[in-house]
Amino acid sequence: MTGKPGAATGGLYLHILVLAIVIVCELIGIQRLSIGLGTVIFLPILYAFALGILLNPAIFKASAKFLSKDAVKLSGAMITVAIMPFIAKFGTTVGPQISKIIEAGPALVLQEIGNLGTILIAFPVAVFLLKMGREAVGATYSIDREPNLALIADKYGLNSPEGAGAMGVYATGTLIGTFVFAIMPPLVHGLGIFDVRALAMSCGVGSGSMLAACTGGLVAVVPDQKDIILALAAASNILTYATGLYVGMFVALPLTEWLYNKARPSERKTA
Amino acid sequence: MANQTNTTANLADDLPLHAEDERKIDLVRHCGLLLIACAIGLIANWVGTGTSPLVALPGMAVLYVACIIGLGFARFVPFYLPSVAWVSLIAILITIPGVPGAAWVSEQVEHLNFLALATPALAYGGLALTASEFAIARRSGWKIVIVAICVMIGTYMGSVVVADLFLRLGQ
Repeated sequence: MTGKPGAATGGLYLHILVLAIVIVCELIGIQRLSIGLGTVIFLPILYAFALGILLNPAIFKASAKFLSKDAVKLSGAMITVAIMPFIAKFGTTVGPQISKIIEAGPALVLQEIGNLGTILIAFPVAVFLLKMGREAVGATYSIDREPNLALIADKYGLNSPEGAGAMGVYATGTLIGTFVFAIMPPLVHGLGIFDVRALAMSCGVGSGSMLAACTGGLVAVVPDQKDIILALAAASNILTYATGLYVGMFVALPLTEWLYNKARPSERKTA
Repeated sequence: MANQTNTTANLADDLPLHAEDERKIDLVRHCGLLLIACAIGLIANWVGTGTSPLVALPGMAVLYVACIIGLGFARFVPFYLPSVAWVSLIAILITIPGVPGAAWVSEQVEHLNFLALATPALAYGGLALTASEFAIARRSGWKIVIVAICVMIGTYMGSVVVADLFLRLGQ
């Protein structure tokens, strides 16, 4: 009976550990750090993710004693389950604001096209500045969350330069995405240029944790606009769920391919 | 180089690529897991906001039911839409003014802080990372980190600029 924990007890330890992490992080609460232009916001979700990584059996060997491989696998399944009440709560903020959402409708729909901004910024950096090869196509065509990664896997296979680029951005985004999306929006708001509704509706990029970080940061700096921030972010996130894959498939990926062929005409024949 | 991409592809075996297939989810098992998630969510909300779990319970029960119905739709509806999209749509529908019970639902879920509900998912997320994911991030190197940051800034700022433009035009 000693030695490796069974599947059930391994699962129990996992949930208890998560509960402990959650309690610690919520006790610390939201912290603010004022820097010149704006405010850097630290959210409990950031601490929770960081603590999770620190206690991850792949990093912290002692954890492996009570968190089996199965428990880590269960933890992966629990992400999609545990984010659901959050997504549901987010949805309930839309209903009461529905008239304001319809009012902002054109901007809300068209900002989905703005997600192509990744090609505008990341593609030149990858191809011209960092001299990356075809990895750049997979890396920069989208934010590379699960559906986008699946598209690359389907089209090129992950056993390809494009696949390696997409997976690299996926893994990096998983590690630092929450952090970037918690820090960036309050700083952009600090510039004083953009409508807070624009900042809110851009939070929906198709990742639950990035959505949480982005709206959490914005609400912390503009608390009196909380209701409309949540509602617009939720609405845009649903739009991204619905359109993201198709924009990637029919617009972003062909466009990135075309740009790459223009930028590196010499590679065209071998590609 | 060929060798390297080969290994990277092997590392990809346990990436959540197949999470998309929600046609085969085990609804009964998910009902149980979701119950655990909601319980931890109630405690997160309690610690974070001071709202007693008893006060927040009706709101959480509503969210729980919305999630189960969303999962059921993703499982049984003949066209594909991710369960999170179904859950969102249901949650929107039951809070639109005029829909029976909408005011009650809005009042109940008001006891739940949205950010506290995301904390458990991120804790699971940190613990769920596999050695492969750390290895991919390490192997991809600093160039990918820079590109990933540019990707995130570009995706966000592109949307901000377009949204801001059309909000101004609409005024």
